[in-house]
Amino acid sequence: MIELTALQADALKELFNIGVGRAARSLSLMVRDEVKLSTPEVTLARPDEVATALLGSEFRQLSMVMMDFSGPFNALAILLFPERNALSIVSHMLEAQISPEELAEFEQEAMCEVGNIILNACISALADELKVEFHGELPVHYFSDTDALPFLVDPCNQTSDQMVLLLQIHLTMRQEQIQGHLIFLLSVSSLNALLEHVDAYLVHFGIS
Amino acid sequence: MDSVLSLELVDHLQCGVALLDHQGRIQLWNHWMERYSRRSRHDVIGQRFDEVFAELAQTRFTEAIEQALRSGLSSVLTPGLNARLLPLYQHPEHVQLTQRIQALIYIAAIPRNHTCLIQVQDMTATMRRERRLRAQSTQLIATTYLDALTGVGNRRRFDRDLNLFFASALETHSSIAMLMIDIDDFKAYNDHLGHVQGDACLIQVANALRGGLRQQSESLSRYGGEEFALPLTKADRDVACVIAERLRQIVEDLKLPHPASRVGHSVTVTIGVSAMVPEPGQPSSVLTGRADLALYRAKDAGRNRCLFHDPNLASDCFQRVEQITDLPLES
Repeated sequence: MIELTALQADALKELFNIGVGRAARSLSLMVRDEVKLSTPEVTLARPDEVATALLGSEFRQLSMVMMDFSGPFNALAILLFPERNALSIVSHMLEAQISPEELAEFEQEAMCEVGNIILNACISALADELKVEFHGELPVHYFSDTDALPFLVDPCNQTSDQMVLLLQIHLTMRQEQIQGHLIFLLSVSSLNALLEHVDAYLVHFGIS
Repeated sequence: MDSVLSLELVDHLQCGVALLDHQGRIQLWNHWMERYSRRSRHDVIGQRFDEVFAELAQTRFTEAIEQALRSGLSSVLTPGLNARLLPLYQHPEHVQLTQRIQALIYIAAIPRNHTCLIQVQDMTATMRRERRLRAQSTQLIATTYLDALTGVGNRRRFDRDLNLFFASALETHSSIAMLMIDIDDFKAYNDHLGHVQGDACLIQVANALRGGLRQQSESLSRYGGEEFALPLTKADRDVACVIAERLRQIVEDLKLPHPASRVGHSVTVTIGVSAMVPEPGQPSSVLTGRADLALYRAKDAGRNRCLFHDPNLASDCFQRVEQITDLPLES
């Protein structure tokens, strides 16, 4: 069982905060209003633990934006919000006097773009800071209930060999704070590769 | 598959396809792109997007291309957030009308040679259809909140408004008030003059009450047979009592003949009033319940009057509105 050291957890938190900071700037420009993003916690968990935690949460309906990315380590990056929170983000983004329930399908797709911006910003911050290169696929977005988290609970998906880097994400827009999760599902070998890069990053700054 | 056939196939696609080299120069521009942009491939090959369309410089579109070429990350640009971003048109006459298509744009990084594939889908018809459907459903929803006879809100509307207003008052620590308005001796009116006349009376009273509201947006609802309810946001006891008394007066002034009334010769209303600043854990039924109690006490006391329910008064928790305030009625 791999565990994060306190330094690694701090470094990852820092790296992801650089990423979400960039995303917040992009989103602020798009909505012409201040958007704040932060990731206060980074934890490492087994996929089934994450699934259990999500299943136990009060929100049953989820919005998920998923992107595969590959490079020195491969991961499936997921931005996950309770559906209600996601629709609330979209109706704020669209500046329309439309309640979240009334959003049309094409408007809900905007969540795919919001997730894309946040995930790309995080991955490009990792790439820049760790001085590595990634390739990111196009994002996919769907709404799902917590019963359908196949990537986390499907035993055929070799999840036993996988770990999850779980980050809380707080998004503040137009006086409303909206919470979600950033999930990076990666194999043990990819996780080790990531942590090696993080250790090198810490050494580079004279911290180890 | 040979490359000539591949290019031909790309030309047959019903979506826009453009391929950019590692420096962002256009390498491929399919027939759809030619048709929608009105730029032939000879005009654009070898140029950057922001050279072909200067207006695209420093937009999210060109930034996403940069990100694909520089960082290998792909992007999607949805029409909801990027309305009519690209100068693409379905028909030549739309160019003058600046009717651009609503596009869904995929910008995919191709890692093998650091190029970038752009796909554009025309979503205009889909969006128009969804907007039309929404307009229809909004209209239908509005209908489900209306009382068919009087045109004021129905019970469903009342329940929704009350929950919304009560939650907002709780959040902002502001006062919310409730008026329960009942037509005096309405059963006798119906028995005496028949249901057709009874319906006409309900319509006239509802219209008169609506005319006495502070603003159009305030929602009067038909609570039951001859009972109306009016939740009032940001209204304390005094404001609510002034409004109640004004509404009572307005109905009396209609002078609708009521041959079976025990109060007088015309149609009158009795109004129960309550007001409170909600506290956490209190249900909205407290507000309605108090107004209801005040209404029944006012009926017992002789009808054609307004009574306020004040739970803080130990001896008699009901007050005649005239005793509460002698504020002048608003015009």
